[in-house]
Amino acid sequence: MAKKSISGVAGIFLTEGKVVNAARKVREAGYSKLEAISPYPIHAMEEACAIKRSPIPYMTFLAGIVGMLVALALTYYTSVIDWPINIGGKPLFSLPAFIPIIFELTILFAALSSVGLFLYLCGMPAIGVPPIDKDLTCNKFAIFVPDTDKNYNFETLDRMFKDLGAVEVKKVTEF
Amino acid sequence: MGSSHHNIELKISKFQPALAFKYSAYAGILIGIIAAVFGLFNNPERMWTAYLVAFFYFASMGLGGLFFLSFSNASKAGWHSSIKRLAESFTQFLPYMVVTSIVMILGYKYLYSWADPTQIHRMTGGKEIYLNFWFVVARVIIFGLGCLAFKHMIVGNSIKQDQNGDVKYTEKNVGNSIGFIAFFALFFTMFSIDLLMSLLPSWYSTIYGIYMFAGMLQSTFAMLALVVIFFKNSKFVSGYITVEHQHDVAKFLKGFTVFWAYIAFSQFMLIWYANIPEETEFYLMRSHSGWIVVSIGLLIFRFIVPFLALLPREAKRNDMNLAAVAILVLVMQYIDIYWQVYPNFNDGVPVFGFYEIALFLGFFGLFAVAATQFLSKNNIVAIKDPRLHEAIKHHVTY
Repeated sequence: MAKKSISGVAGIFLTEGKVVNAARKVREAGYSKLEAISPYPIHAMEEACAIKRSPIPYMTFLAGIVGMLVALALTYYTSVIDWPINIGGKPLFSLPAFIPIIFELTILFAALSSVGLFLYLCGMPAIGVPPIDKDLTCNKFAIFVPDTDKNYNFETLDRMFKDLGAVEVKKVTEF
Repeated sequence: MGSSHHNIELKISKFQPALAFKYSAYAGILIGIIAAVFGLFNNPERMWTAYLVAFFYFASMGLGGLFFLSFSNASKAGWHSSIKRLAESFTQFLPYMVVTSIVMILGYKYLYSWADPTQIHRMTGGKEIYLNFWFVVARVIIFGLGCLAFKHMIVGNSIKQDQNGDVKYTEKNVGNSIGFIAFFALFFTMFSIDLLMSLLPSWYSTIYGIYMFAGMLQSTFAMLALVVIFFKNSKFVSGYITVEHQHDVAKFLKGFTVFWAYIAFSQFMLIWYANIPEETEFYLMRSHSGWIVVSIGLLIFRFIVPFLALLPREAKRNDMNLAAVAILVLVMQYIDIYWQVYPNFNDGVPVFGFYEIALFLGFFGLFAVAATQFLSKNNIVAIKDPRLHEAIKHHVTY
């Protein structure tokens, strides 16, 4: 959950293997708030950064149930209470006919709330945040440690990143 | 990815089924044969209905194994290469499927009204031509021999590759698999229409083949999940078959649970909505007295329970939970085929007893003997598969 205006230090790496290794080492050194930045998903990174499972799937499930209930209420209200019409001699509340609507609204609620929650958890849209390095969306990787982390020390981290193979260490004032 | 948590020792040894299992399988075959011969003279109709259900159940499983291999080969999947031998063992039932489908021709006159020449004139709309006795027999035999030929090519290439690891076998199997998928789509539809839908020859449902296909793959993945759990925890193999493969098989199981519900509902809703007499017949038979219980049971235990029970990630990676769901699905597949067959013979009263159990055991014995013989003769992992490295480091993130 990146919030606006965080400052700290970032080590820039050139290979996937080095950045995964660095993430693990930096975390093991006691920096718990680190962020890894990569142009593409790296499978081993969850384990290296000790990223917890996202809460999004649970939210998706709950939103799906809400969508199901909303659709049930909608079909009941429209076909039984508000405008009852006899269609083919079938009961006013004919569940099989409503299943497609219930299904669609379940999916719609689940999908849209997942996307919404995903954007919220990522702190997006964040407009005008200066990039740490323009090449981080292309061919470079970074480990970022915010200065709010306990025992944050620029000199220690600078040395640590360089030992782990960073090509560059940047002091980031606003991210 | 050079992460350290993949350093698991890789080894396989010869598979030997437990003696008790082997003897039970042979005992099952014996019980099945005795029940079949006994039933032939005492209650042929009941015996042949039980035979048809058990036959279709295990034929589906053998075909499902071959279909899984085919779509994985055709999509050039890598993750399945360490468990593909297990699916190949299912296909070893196919020779028995051909033999037992030919034996079943003897029972056509008890099962199908179209097999009676005095009844054939009552069918209309070209059905008297399509359901001509010898035309049906020809289709069933062509289907059986065709599947056997594709099984021979696809599984045969995989076994040959164990010798020298030649990539050409993998390449050849892509074409074979695409050929099988096309052949199977057409002929399995006819196979299920000929053997199950035609029990009620006046009924029409164009989605019927897909319905049986959905149940087939769901139950195949349930069986595959059980076998994967067994080998993951067995002493015969280590490192090759892991919780990651179990997770992916469980995902397929869940996917086809949803697919089955989708197809079953599609068939039901259109018939219910249109309310045309020649279509509603099928559901009317199954919506009163004893059969409504089975119909509702299918909805709950074949879709709702497995779907919810497989939803969380940990549920798919937990052996006990996955095995319980897989067994439930396997039971429901039997009940589903039973539900296709029995209401045509027993109006209002589901019957279940000696013949159903004995013939199921007979076919199960054949299936188990064929599969375990194959696994004890060959390596349980396709060790020279060019994509095996993908399967070994396979990692399911979500």
